[in-house]
Amino acid sequence: MATLVQVENLRKEFGNVCALAGVSFRVEAGEWIAIMGPSGSGKTTLINILGGLDMPTSGQAIVDAIDVGRLDESGLTRFRAQKIGFIFQQFHLVPYLTALENVMLAQYFHSSTDEKEAREALERVGLGDRVEHLPGKLSGGEQQRVAVARALINHPKLILADEPTGNLDEANEETVIQLFHELHREGHTILMVTHAPSIGRLADRRIAFAHGRLVEVPASLKTSL
Amino acid sequence: MFGRLVRESFVRNPRRKVLVAAALVVGMAVATSTLTIALEVGDRLAREFRSLGANLLVTPQADTLPIEIGGVDYRPVNEGAYLSETDLGKLKTIFWRHNILGFTPFLDVPATIQQSENSDPILAMIVGTWYAQNVSVPDGTSFKTGLSVTHPWWKVQGRWFHDDANECVIGSALAATMPGVTAGKVIYVTSRSPGDSAQGQPGTTQAIALKVVGIVSTDDAEDKALLVPLAIAQKLSGHPGQFRQLFVSALTKPADTFSERDPLKMTPTEYDRWFCSPYISSISFQIKTVLPGTDVRTIRRVADTEGRILSRVGTLLWIVTLAALGAAALAVAATSATTVLERRAEIGVMKALGATNSLIAGIFLAEQLLLAVAGGAIGFVVGAALARSLGASVFGTPASPRLILFPVILGIAAIVAFVGSLIPLRRASHFNPAPILRGE
Ligand SMILES: Nc1ncnc2c1ncn2[C@@H]1O[C@H](COP(=O)(O)OP(=O)(O)OP(=O)(O)O)[C@@H](O)[C@H]1O
Ligand SMILES: [Mg+2]
Repeated sequence: MATLVQVENLRKEFGNVCALAGVSFRVEAGEWIAIMGPSGSGKTTLINILGGLDMPTSGQAIVDAIDVGRLDESGLTRFRAQKIGFIFQQFHLVPYLTALENVMLAQYFHSSTDEKEAREALERVGLGDRVEHLPGKLSGGEQQRVAVARALINHPKLILADEPTGNLDEANEETVIQLFHELHREGHTILMVTHAPSIGRLADRRIAFAHGRLVEVPASLKTSL
Repeated sequence: MFGRLVRESFVRNPRRKVLVAAALVVGMAVATSTLTIALEVGDRLAREFRSLGANLLVTPQADTLPIEIGGVDYRPVNEGAYLSETDLGKLKTIFWRHNILGFTPFLDVPATIQQSENSDPILAMIVGTWYAQNVSVPDGTSFKTGLSVTHPWWKVQGRWFHDDANECVIGSALAATMPGVTAGKVIYVTSRSPGDSAQGQPGTTQAIALKVVGIVSTDDAEDKALLVPLAIAQKLSGHPGQFRQLFVSALTKPADTFSERDPLKMTPTEYDRWFCSPYISSISFQIKTVLPGTDVRTIRRVADTEGRILSRVGTLLWIVTLAALGAAALAVAATSATTVLERRAEIGVMKALGATNSLIAGIFLAEQLLLAVAGGAIGFVVGAALARSLGASVFGTPASPRLILFPVILGIAAIVAFVGSLIPLRRASHFNPAPILRGE
């Protein structure tokens, strides 16, 4: 399998706070990685750098042969639109656009809108009957499924999900995790931050952080079920 | 999608939109009314210039204390000095020659008029002048001038005399006292100054037959006179080639404190500046150098001061306009700054999804543009109404609305909205999506 993500001695400092203190790892295309670790250990920081939302202080972060740290602002914008599908804990849907329009918005920023394709994406996350709803009229799980549809619509190389189930109840969590399963099966590369060991265990591999460094994955998480 | 985003962002927070639109309406209303009035002022100034006609009067120096009562010069004809017709061409050789629009010599001769050779003589003033005379200029060209240029508001019924014919035009008041005199009639004039030949050459005592070709109304003393070609008046008075007064019509710059200073006390640079500005004082000075022994006086001073006031009003209006536009831009800036801050989260999400800065700026600008069009259109209507009432109180007549201003106002509104949004937009483009997404 080809290497899709290669992180080499990555550091990120915020003033005198060291969020990432020299991290190195690789992700092969098609892998589902769970990123775990206590609060403040640098998980979101890593996701942001890999997704082109933040710049590393030093080291390399290469995604699909692109050294993200070397991109300028417009390069980063293009990188985000073309290579990355983001899924956030707070969903981050645009509140005044319908579910369908939220998906089409990502198409628009990428290239051009295609309503039919956007509808199909929503059908695929089980929201075929909710396309005209505003986010406020959808449950948390439904909103996150819209976000998944939005993340997938441009066929990104890498899906970055920062605690995608953190704000969901168990039933909704189940549906969303089911979606990730399907995406994984279809060959998508997924980096997912999670606090839940049960979810972490579903991934191919787990990367554990503590104080901005990679640490040994706790034994309790080593075996996938 | 762009349209959808703009529409959505446009209908949101209507209170703030109304505020921005109101700021634009006020700014544009003030701009419309002041620009309308400023244009009106300009037009009025131009009209004033056009209708101004003669604004300078040249007389012989000895002749500065006229004994004029009711428009009749009671001095004996030969008492004052005369000016020579042959020098007139030199007026078109002075530095400001192109500002000399025209000039007309006048020669008054007291005379008697008879309707036929044997009828009762009537005493009247004969005024010799030019209607449209070709004057040769020393540089070899020639220049057509006369009443047609300097006294355009004199209205003639019938036609004007030809300067080289035995024709005349009768003043309306005089015509009223001579019921038989109409266009086409021939009358006889005789000089009424038999005893003055001691100093001047004797005028002809022969009656001259003149054909009346028109009746003129001047709203001036000439209404009581008979206007004849200058040459005929010269013949009657016995002063060939001479005249008494010269009306000059010159385009001048309104006087200011600089123009009123004494040129003799100026530094050489100041003097040059003064000499090279078409002030009445500098043009008068230049006229005196080519027509020595004359006095040049300004007439229609009223128009001059009015012009000065109008141009000051114009300046004031510009200041008010700029202030109103500045205030509108500030209001736009304040509201759009709040809007941008309020929508920070949404901007952050869009950026994370790969929206470019220019696209986000485009959405905001399109929205501001819509507001500018709405505010500008309403402001134009309000401002036009304002100009009507303002114009009425300033000039006595309402300033008519000018459609040409409509696109201008819309453009200004767009610029104001654009300038007002510039700083908030710059800020938005520097938003870093990462902290926004983590909820900071
Ligand atoms: N923009 C920032 N400015 C200053 N410090 C920051 C910034 N972003 C992150 N940090 C700090 O970097 C460290 C790592 O933060 P990060 O958000 O990556 O942790 P996390 O592992 O995602 O935690 P959580 O599980 O609570 O989301 C923290 O100490 C945090 O306070
Ligand atoms: Mg985090």
